Amino acid sequence: MIKKDSLSIDLAENIKVLESIYADCSDVIFRHFSIGNRIKAILIYIEGMSDMEEMDKNVLTPLMLREIGRQFDIQTILEKNLAVSAVKEVSTFKDVTNEVSSGNPVVLINHQSQGVSVGFAKSEKRSIQEPTSESVVRGPRDGFIETLSTNIVLLRQKIKSTDLKTKSIQIGRYSQTKVVIMYIEGLADHALIQEVENRLNRIDIDGVLESGYIEEFIKDHPYSPFPQILNTERPDVTAASLLEGNVVILTDGTPFVLIAPTTFYSLLQSAEDYYGGFIIGTFLRWLRYAFLLVALLLPSVYVAILTYHQEMVPTSLLISVAKSREQIPFPALVEALLMEGSFEALREAGIRLPKNIGSAISIVGALVIGQAAVSAGLVSAPMVMVVAITGIASFMIPRYSAAITLRILRFPIMFLAGTLGLVGIMLGILTIIVHMCTIRSFGVPYLQPLAPIRNTELKDSIIRAPWWSLKNRPHWTSDYNKVRQPNGQKPSPSKGKE
Amino acid sequence: MLERGKISPVQMALFMNPAISATALLLVPSITAKHAHQDLWLSPIWASFIGYFIVFVSYQLNKLFPNQTIIEYSQQIVGKFFGKIIGVILLLFYLHITGVIVREYGEFVSGASLFHTPMAVIIGTMVLVCSLAVRGGIEVIGRAGEIIVPVVLLLYVIIFILLIKDLEIKNMFPIMEKGITPSLMGSVSPQSWFSEFILISFLLPYVTDRKRGMKWGMISVFSVTVLLVLTNIMDLLLFGNMTASLTYPVMVAARYISIADFLEHLESIVMAIWISGTFIKITVFYYAITLGTAQLLKLSDFRPLILPIGFLILLFGLWSSNNLEELSLFLGTSGAIYILSIQIIIPVFLLLTGFIRNKVQQGKGNNENEAPVNH
Amino acid sequence: MKLQSIIKKYLLLLFLVFSVVFLSGCWDRNEVNDLALIMAAGFDKKSDNTIELSVLLYIPKGGGNQQDMNSAGGGGYETMVRSAAGITVADAMARLQEKLPRQIFWGHTDIFLFNEKLAKEGIFEHVDFIMRHPQLRERAQIFVSKQPAKEVLSLMPPLERDLSEVLRELGEHEIGMSITTKELAQMLISDSGDCALPWIQILPPDDKNKPKRTIAYITGTAVFKKDKMIGKIDDMLTRGILWIRDEIRLAVVTVKLPQTKGYISVNLSQAHSKLVPTIENGKWKITLKSETYSDIVQNSTHLNVSDPAVVKSLERQIEQVINNRIELARKKVQKEMKADILGFADAFHRYYPKVWNKEKKRWEEIFPDVEVKYETKCKIRRQGLHS
Repeated sequence: MIKKDSLSIDLAENIKVLESIYADCSDVIFRHFSIGNRIKAILIYIEGMSDMEEMDKNVLTPLMLREIGRQFDIQTILEKNLAVSAVKEVSTFKDVTNEVSSGNPVVLINHQSQGVSVGFAKSEKRSIQEPTSESVVRGPRDGFIETLSTNIVLLRQKIKSTDLKTKSIQIGRYSQTKVVIMYIEGLADHALIQEVENRLNRIDIDGVLESGYIEEFIKDHPYSPFPQILNTERPDVTAASLLEGNVVILTDGTPFVLIAPTTFYSLLQSAEDYYGGFIIGTFLRWLRYAFLLVALLLPSVYVAILTYHQEMVPTSLLISVAKSREQIPFPALVEALLMEGSFEALREAGIRLPKNIGSAISIVGALVIGQAAVSAGLVSAPMVMVVAITGIASFMIPRYSAAITLRILRFPIMFLAGTLGLVGIMLGILTIIVHMCTIRSFGVPYLQPLAPIRNTELKDSIIRAPWWSLKNRPHWTSDYNKVRQPNGQKPSPSKGKE
Repeated sequence: MLERGKISPVQMALFMNPAISATALLLVPSITAKHAHQDLWLSPIWASFIGYFIVFVSYQLNKLFPNQTIIEYSQQIVGKFFGKIIGVILLLFYLHITGVIVREYGEFVSGASLFHTPMAVIIGTMVLVCSLAVRGGIEVIGRAGEIIVPVVLLLYVIIFILLIKDLEIKNMFPIMEKGITPSLMGSVSPQSWFSEFILISFLLPYVTDRKRGMKWGMISVFSVTVLLVLTNIMDLLLFGNMTASLTYPVMVAARYISIADFLEHLESIVMAIWISGTFIKITVFYYAITLGTAQLLKLSDFRPLILPIGFLILLFGLWSSNNLEELSLFLGTSGAIYILSIQIIIPVFLLLTGFIRNKVQQGKGNNENEAPVNH
Repeated sequence: MKLQSIIKKYLLLLFLVFSVVFLSGCWDRNEVNDLALIMAAGFDKKSDNTIELSVLLYIPKGGGNQQDMNSAGGGGYETMVRSAAGITVADAMARLQEKLPRQIFWGHTDIFLFNEKLAKEGIFEHVDFIMRHPQLRERAQIFVSKQPAKEVLSLMPPLERDLSEVLRELGEHEIGMSITTKELAQMLISDSGDCALPWIQILPPDDKNKPKRTIAYITGTAVFKKDKMIGKIDDMLTRGILWIRDEIRLAVVTVKLPQTKGYISVNLSQAHSKLVPTIENGKWKITLKSETYSDIVQNSTHLNVSDPAVVKSLERQIEQVINNRIELARKKVQKEMKADILGFADAFHRYYPKVWNKEKKRWEEIFPDVEVKYETKCKIRRQGLHS
């Protein structure tokens, strides 16, 4: 039980309460000492969470060795004795436990109703590395890490304006995870910020270990397989969405930050679309859109055409397919399900396998199994090709959360294709479209700007228009601040000397 | 209000196009060709006048009762009892017509590819998918239209382009060999399709900008006309006099495409395109029935009605005819008159009565509370 | 809220019903291994009231292993011919299915053959079957064969995959007539109702010991009065017909100029023709306006073909040759056979709809007496790379 009562004047009483709070916590250390050999004090900290060397040098040494006058209070100590910048007064037991839990040692002094917490928290930090889930050829190489303060720093370094605001809340009854909402004042809609805050405040859970916990609590449509909140570990992507008026939710302990609102097309964007020139960006986007359909539909279309619409295949192609299928004991649908299933299994296994042999095994496994299955006459060679192309296509989707949705949706569509042919596939697609039209992410229609059509935003979704022509921010930014940049910045060759 | 969503006039125009043309593209060329022969491309143009007229009528009615659908204001115009009767007639009519539409869909799919699949499965799956869209309300229908319609139109144009090398202009001549009569005769059946534009009287209360609603309604009629004329010309130039003897000329036309020995047999693609068009058509009709029924019964939510009405549509689809020939005959002859009379007479009657009542009331200069009440 | 949960239950129930339906379903599923792919079909006359349907089937041979390759004699796969007799095509097809373990699949049939004997008795009912069947391609080509269709189908072409491929490729060259089922159906319901089909016969094999290793090729045109064949015309005349029908695509014309030795050959690169009908004082006339562009491909004379005067006279000479060709063909078809495969009826219908509607019953009498004039224009565009 954490007492909310304020500290008492009597140190011994305080110690008693704190010792009962920290009963059976062998890692919490109570270090008794006296200031100037006279006044009793105590230092409370958790072993290993604080930098004790600094503590000894800057706190204990000056306090213990100092001659002290009769008149003395916390303020004087802070002003004259502690040469530490990060100090904080604490006055309740809740404050004390909070500070101690987050690694800041707390000093309590007899006859004082306030204590001091010293900011010598030492956390185990990973160094900043290139994010593994979203790598780019051109673009910044830094990625978020597990430490919240570092992540905020990374963003502050990209957006230095004072309009970048952070609001902090704690979620998790036991984990007491720090969650920070970040947005740019004047770009993000106030209603949106309020909505995000409300939804976060509603969460009552034991612990938050990853931002995924939060995501499931604040989604608009909990049963939908589509990701309605974008997650990324790239500071540049996060900064870009801040600049578009989105709200970012950072969670302590995970490199993945959440971005809301999210539309479907932003799941299909890669950071690089904006770095490599607009012609390249547009081309890559179209390629991605095309292969999105391939990843979703290719096995189903193959099954449908081969079992229902054989006349669609050019004669000579059908003959070679027929030849390779002649000895296959399974119907095309079963063959496709088998192969897709084992491909997904291989992929999953590849992630679980130890890093250094994982990739080798998954590729070799796929090749060997595919080759052996074909020569054993269990699956046909065209099917192996179809599965391979589908696999490659699903890797083209930049966001893992979107890619996995498509991988899952592939299976029901395959069943539909096996029972109703192309009609079934169309019904499947229509269902997906209707579902996507129903979804909203924090009030923003999921398929925006395609449905409902927003002409100004089509420029940055169907194609990637050059930067100088993207004059307007997305419409969900607050109404009074729509214009991103002034007209007339299109570069042209200088006349030079004639 | 039963429906809280709003759509833009453009969204309405977009999904009204397949809501009229989807089934028309398939059946109209051969039905009109039976009467109009090589003038079949003129028939949709004559027929489109009905479309413009109907859009005008429903816009005028909407102006009198801005926030109400036809089911609601018919009770305002001719009184509670007769208004309810008109409502019941309209809803039963639409239930029947939607049954006919899903049957057309079922006949086409089973005749073109799924020969042995039971009709109940073909129709049932489609109605189920449509019910999902109806559940989402008018906003979802509007957005789905924005996604589907441009793709459908684009693919349709591509098919037309792929056929250009096989078209023969000489099939068009002589134009108006026997005067204008054959093409007018041929326009009766497309007229029944164009009269379906009365559906926008269910939608106009939910359109954000009514003035532009009328304009875009007209544009929608025009786009359907262009689409039908193009289709008819394509079939005429490709098949000449044979068009009348083909059941689904567009389908056969797609099958006739052959580019570089590889792009062949695209009829399944046509089917796929067409299914998404029909999906919109059925959804719009289905939505109108559900919304109308809820308004007639004064329910607070239309969603509980979706599945029961879907089931009724399925049954009407199964019972509406025994086979394709019967269906085609119905749409070419008595059905056309039946559809036309209900969809034209009722709104025109309502408009005239409403207009006169309004005049009379204004003359008396009283009874302001008779003005439409928002439900 | 209670309503919501009821709806959810409904949806769950519906989902269950549909999944049961789907899992027990697959009514129209046909694996490729269960299909008998028919590449070509032929119709022969069996007895007085039965016809014989022969089909060319593709046999998929698993893998490409060496032994199969040898036994198939090169192709790596095989074809076979099966036939069955019946009163109608549909009846014969049902009989044929009895003899085939796999489902007959018409979706890839590119070629239909009619034997001469059958063609002489009328083909309308068979074409009706072809047009009506939902799987059959409207672009399939139709031929009339001198030898029984069954015999033609069982040939083993040395160069191509099978006979259907041979005939399809030959048809696409458009040297002779090339008619698809759609075009045939259109001709049958056209104003005259007469039609023409390419005529094929078997090329004598190089090796007498292997009589099957040869192909059938197009040697002329079978001419039909309504749907009954009344005769055939040869290669040369066919080309004249093609001129009138505006179907000529590839042709080499060789001329001899007066007062010179040797010949000049030109290759037609573009040719268009148009029928312009006139009716004057009850006299029905037709003018054939044609326009060609050609390139010189061979010159064995000493003339300088870049000289405009020479080119002029050459052009006149070519026009003359073309006119003669057309005239020969026209006479044969119009005067002897009296079959309007030239499209005259449609032309009159288009230009004189009123007169036509009055006189169309008399067309049989009018047609042989229609006067034909020629307005041929020839332009030489290129002299070849060497001059």
